[in-house]
Amino acid sequence: MFISYEWLKELTDTRLMPAELRDRLTMVGLAIDAVDEHGGDAVLDVEVPSNRPDCLSHVGIAREVSVIEKGRLRLPASEKPKTEGRSADLTSVEIKDPDLCPRYAGRLVRGVKIGPSPDWLAKRLEAIGQRPINNVADITNYVLHEVGQPLHAFDFEKLGGRRIIVRRAAPGEKLKTLDGVERTLTNDMLVIADAEKAVALAGIMGGEESEISAQTKDVLIESAYFDPNSVRQTARKLGMDTEASRRFERGADREGVLRAQQRCVELICELAGGVATEDAIDVYPKPLGERVIDLRPERIPGLTSLTVESDEIIRILTGLGFERVGSEGRMSFKVPSWRVDVEQEEDLVEEVARHTGYDKIGSELPPSSMSGEYQPTEMRQRSLRRALNAFGFDEAINFSFTQQDSRFDLIPTLAGHETDQPQLENPIIEDAAWMRSTLLPGLLSSVRHNLNHGIRDVRLFEIGRIFLISKAGELPDESLALGIVATGGALEENKAQAERELDFFDLKGALEAAVDWMSVAPLTFTPTSARHLRSGQSALITNDDRKPLGTIGRLAETVAASYKFRQPVYVMELDLNALLSGPAKVIQYSPLPKYPSVVRDISLLVDRSVSLDEIFAAVNKQQIADCRSVKLVGTFEGGNIPASKRSVTLRLEYRSDERTLRDEEVEEYHSRLTSALLETFAAEQR
Amino acid sequence: MCWSGRPKWGCHRHPITLLRERLEDIFVSLGYAIEDGREIETDFYNFTALNIPENHPACGKADTFYTTDGFALRSQTSTVQIHAMQRRGVPVRMIAPGRVFRRDTPDPTHNPMFFQVEGLCVDRGITMAHLKGTVGELLRRMFGPDTVTRFRPSYFPFTEPSAEFDFSCFKCKGSGCRICKNSGWIELGGCGMVHPNVLRVVGADPQEYSGFAFGFGIDRMCGLMYELDDIRLLFENDVRFLEKFE
Repeated sequence: MFISYEWLKELTDTRLMPAELRDRLTMVGLAIDAVDEHGGDAVLDVEVPSNRPDCLSHVGIAREVSVIEKGRLRLPASEKPKTEGRSADLTSVEIKDPDLCPRYAGRLVRGVKIGPSPDWLAKRLEAIGQRPINNVADITNYVLHEVGQPLHAFDFEKLGGRRIIVRRAAPGEKLKTLDGVERTLTNDMLVIADAEKAVALAGIMGGEESEISAQTKDVLIESAYFDPNSVRQTARKLGMDTEASRRFERGADREGVLRAQQRCVELICELAGGVATEDAIDVYPKPLGERVIDLRPERIPGLTSLTVESDEIIRILTGLGFERVGSEGRMSFKVPSWRVDVEQEEDLVEEVARHTGYDKIGSELPPSSMSGEYQPTEMRQRSLRRALNAFGFDEAINFSFTQQDSRFDLIPTLAGHETDQPQLENPIIEDAAWMRSTLLPGLLSSVRHNLNHGIRDVRLFEIGRIFLISKAGELPDESLALGIVATGGALEENKAQAERELDFFDLKGALEAAVDWMSVAPLTFTPTSARHLRSGQSALITNDDRKPLGTIGRLAETVAASYKFRQPVYVMELDLNALLSGPAKVIQYSPLPKYPSVVRDISLLVDRSVSLDEIFAAVNKQQIADCRSVKLVGTFEGGNIPASKRSVTLRLEYRSDERTLRDEEVEEYHSRLTSALLETFAAEQR
Repeated sequence: MCWSGRPKWGCHRHPITLLRERLEDIFVSLGYAIEDGREIETDFYNFTALNIPENHPACGKADTFYTTDGFALRSQTSTVQIHAMQRRGVPVRMIAPGRVFRRDTPDPTHNPMFFQVEGLCVDRGITMAHLKGTVGELLRRMFGPDTVTRFRPSYFPFTEPSAEFDFSCFKCKGSGCRICKNSGWIELGGCGMVHPNVLRVVGADPQEYSGFAFGFGIDRMCGLMYELDDIRLLFENDVRFLEKFE
């Protein structure tokens, strides 16, 4: 909203310079974006909050300034016009849809001479960015910017039947608006019509046919109050935003309708000649009731901590147009009709507080009465992030909306309703009209973004919500997931360059270590198959409660191809809520060994299908108490080893808590174990 | 001896996480509980309970994302405040950091998804001075001990009185620079005293209890602190960008 400083000065006698006004208005809640010079005037660009339509006018701003300066507001005055005849004898106004138009006033000025506006008027409009058109149109525009009431002037001769009907448009009814666009209307839009057709789009824009022209002699001045929602919806549907619609949408002053019309008529008679009718036809079936609000003075310090004297409270509120009513002991105020935002006591408190000054409000912490608390899983989440960071993964965040995607198997806790990604009705990004039900596509797109920028070593993880509809019409399920992707070289500590390519075990190891950092009991990995994972290189992840959490593996060729990946990519996704709330790792002290241990290695040639877990289980099955640990030294395939076999070397540790073990004892244990393993797996010893 | 040491590598938290964790630490130390809630919400929690009338422009499909089932992607984390007050009752002190969604086309200063922190403190005898004290404390801990906080009157449907808060520019200390657009002040968020209608929704008596609420964007704070020239970088996950933090 542009405000002319010179205009403001006429209304308030302000002694503040434009730069001072900028600060002072900002501090009462009317932020000034800029002050610009325009032909000797200063123009303030005021950012008016959406609940203050009364400030979309010079009088509205002047009223605030008068309270700031403890000055006076001087409402605009003009000469009483010459009048003749009654409007009702010349025309009629009928409101067919009073729900959308609670008030409509029409008044005539006959015998006007249309021409350019006088210089002062044209200049004033130009200063605030309005283009002068002709004297009558300019005066309606001037009064709009002066008092905030949108007005419209019709060429009376052009009105069919010389009368006004306010009604909903007929479906498909056409109206060519002042901007030259022919609009097709719908039944929920309100129009001003004459006896035959629509002549204006109520509260938004006039029609071209009844526009004021050089030949116009008699004008009908409309001043009305239209329903804010109706104006907003119509304007939005038609893609229109006008000075009038902006004010009606936020709420115009229902009681100011006649005052604004009177001012407009006076100016027309003064500047364009003509004789006004004696009165307006004012159709106002249900006048607005009086609104009175009690203000308990103690409520002001109670909410704001400000102490304000009664006299000052009264000065601020009456200065803003509130009228003190009722008995002496109480503070009751009648709300001015233009303050559509004021409904209750707290609103009055705000009025007093902002004019007393928010800068006068003290600053202290509230008395302490509660202890703080994190989300129950926050510390585990933080450990997870730190761990993954330490093992070389950067944290990614992707948009929650993505495309519809069926290339991925969902994490096991969500399996069963795969096609039910929630869809957006009004997406803003093309190809992102669905809520994600897996984190992997977003992470893989991030990998591609990095590869496209010449970075081939990419390790990312993301923690975020995934969404699924489990029952149509109900709120979708939301679960927290962890996704990890890795590709490129396996960077190692202290090395700037990778010596080998990342593989499945790098990803698995990072996850296992992260789980350990989180103090969560270890996970188990078993072979599985998943649509997006390469067969033979995919595993199901289960927690210590045997609950399946997710999958890990190498990205399947078909999916990799769709991202144009030319190097192996490893991915993991699991249900993070389940992981975070899973059983804790047990930490239990056991005495340090007192006696030395004996270590023996063994190499076995086993079938490739035998897993390490099976071998460890077979060792444990022997229940040799003095066998304290079994570890993998390494595996070997190829060379002179048959293709179906692999060599596995294990290291076994033997120790007693009672005494130093003798060689014969160790030998006995070890050969028992060896033969058990050879037998169980039909293995050969190497 | 003057050669560089052997580089130790380690990767990085996302800058949003970095700030979120700092903010959570500050508020936990001030006695607040951290809360989170759904990202897809009913109109009731996203608008109605927050005293936002059904016909308010913010509820329109131009500003808020809706699913085809008619649910809203939350446009502010105030939704969490309602759930938390319903569950915990009053008095309550909590903050809700989280993802929110608004229908903005991505450009250097907008994303259709961003992160926000909303705070709430309801108790007997809470005033705007407590609000100012709390916001001031937060800003001093984030931007340095000399930081000055300024409240400007504003309008939000869920608070009354309402204010926007600015703080003295941490870069130029108020003398004017690019970050504060030469004004000496940086706008960060909105706040105010919880609207009586919001207290009533959760069954708290506005005559007995009062409270304050505040909110701001973590992305905006991130943009200011690290002088980002394009906030779209936050969600592109370019490794070169992510490795600039910490």
